[in-house]
Amino acid sequence: MSADDESSGWQLTESDPGVFTELLKSLELPLIVDDLYSLDPDSLASLKPLHALIFLFKWVPTSSDSPAPPRAGADDPDFPGFFAHQTVNNACATLAVFNALGNIPSLHGGPQLTDLLQFTQGMDPQTRGLVITSADWLREMHNALSPPSAFSLDGLGLPKRTEDAYHFVVYLPVMGALYELDGLKPHAIQHGAVEQSGEGWLKTAREVIEARINTYPVGALEFSLLALRDDPLPSLRSELEHAQSVGDSHMASEILSKVTNENSKRERWAFENSLRRHNHVGLVQALLLALAKAGKLAPAEEAAKKTMKERIEQRKARGEDMDED
Amino acid sequence: MSIPNAEILLAFKAGRAFRREGTNTVEPSPTKGAIYLTNGEDGLLHFIWKNRATNTIEEDLILFPFDASFVKVAQSTGRIYVLKFSSSNQRHFFWMQDASDARDEEFKANVNGLLMDPEFDMQWNIPITSTEPQASTSAAATQAVPAASAPGGSSGFAATPEQLATLSQMLTSMSSPASAPPEVSLSDILTPANLGPLFASHPELVPALFPHLPPDLPVPPSAEALQQIIHSPQFRAAVANFDQALRTGLLGGLVRSLGLPEEAGTGVGPFLRAIQEQADSEGGNSMDTD
Repeated sequence: MSADDESSGWQLTESDPGVFTELLKSLELPLIVDDLYSLDPDSLASLKPLHALIFLFKWVPTSSDSPAPPRAGADDPDFPGFFAHQTVNNACATLAVFNALGNIPSLHGGPQLTDLLQFTQGMDPQTRGLVITSADWLREMHNALSPPSAFSLDGLGLPKRTEDAYHFVVYLPVMGALYELDGLKPHAIQHGAVEQSGEGWLKTAREVIEARINTYPVGALEFSLLALRDDPLPSLRSELEHAQSVGDSHMASEILSKVTNENSKRERWAFENSLRRHNHVGLVQALLLALAKAGKLAPAEEAAKKTMKERIEQRKARGEDMDED
Repeated sequence: MSIPNAEILLAFKAGRAFRREGTNTVEPSPTKGAIYLTNGEDGLLHFIWKNRATNTIEEDLILFPFDASFVKVAQSTGRIYVLKFSSSNQRHFFWMQDASDARDEEFKANVNGLLMDPEFDMQWNIPITSTEPQASTSAAATQAVPAASAPGGSSGFAATPEQLATLSQMLTSMSSPASAPPEVSLSDILTPANLGPLFASHPELVPALFPHLPPDLPVPPSAEALQQIIHSPQFRAAVANFDQALRTGLLGGLVRSLGLPEEAGTGVGPFLRAIQEQADSEGGNSMDTD
């Protein structure tokens, strides 16, 4: 069994900005990850300073023999920056974040992160991936946001639809060029020099990502884009203080509404993360028990059986594959 | 090549089967073999397939707790099982070669028990002595006797061409669901549509559920938070996972910790019956949830 065939204790986590941001917080980094709904210049500008884009996708082959779309860019075996291979399946999200973090100049993280990044300097991508995924403390941080193992699919080794696994690719500028870092590829991929003025690397990144999306047949690609950026709250707070001190109430209320938006997003993330970490079995039992005591469990079960029957009929009618593979 | 007896946790006769490329058809290979679960010298759990004809180990997989499961291929009416991994697409197919199928499910349950916990206490419903010649193939915890030491030709299973043809025919229907599909899912019971009216008609229930909410919820527990939770993808996923976990029939230990009889861990139906019994014994009209 090769190294990438087993999870090495890494659990599957959700690919969600709230999960990524919690990881960055654990790494003591003043960075967050946001969903990116558009690649237009205005959307990107509002998120600056922006360090990297994470392109998450799963490719749904339209027919079993449709070939993978052609790839753009050029392999760069001499990539001077940080690149780690995805050596453990379930660690892919965290490894993608590391492929971004390792290339951010003057990164100020916690001592564990700093040590790990320094330790892997000069290593080849495979070794680097192995070293990173062997860090127990990192695995614990990563696993902290997955359900307790008594309760996760991983924990029971149950059938999991493998196509649900996303592929993570990082785009970011390194030494004046746009790079694509894909832990499943042997080398970093270079997409040419980036403009130093105007929109800079984001312009090149937009073109490359849009071109990539367009190479897939319609409906064959499910993807989302995440932006790794500075935590905007500290600078918003100082801007707010400044606006208040100069008596610019219009500016102050505008900034205040941004701060409020940021805070409510953080509250939502904290709420969702607490649900991710929780073992809900007790709640499930209590709810079923309450239904039973109210005399509603039996009718609900009958209705659920009917629903299941109809679902199976529909699947059969559509000729869907019932194979769990 | 021999496997030290002391290391063998479980052994039974099984051959390999292979998926015909590009199809869903799995074809059994007639070679006689045996599956061993061993506690290797390295302290790790090994899943070994040994060729009983040549007495060589042809597959030796190191398994980490919770990573793999051994399940019956539902689409097949034959005795085909698949070893699959939660962390990869790898699939290893096997077919049971014990002459009788009486203990197939027992082997499966014990394999899965070991795959989750190498210290697992194996359970045998059928006394070992009742299966006569095949007794030696099932190494009970007490005495491990490798299947290969049994004279396979005389007492063991030798597939005739007819038997293989039948098996092969049964397997070709694999892509159409032959066995019983799930009857009921917890996900269809714990729906907002079922729970909403319950909270509305029994408002006193809501605070009683607070102890079951995450302790680090960033907002004070409230009816609104509870509504948000039962609508959340995280809770929905947790219900779906528990539902799937119950389907393994292996949750006896877990449900005991919930104060339910072990029987409740053998499936969704038994779990719901146990909940109903608990409700009846606690009195249907009181709304205590604990």
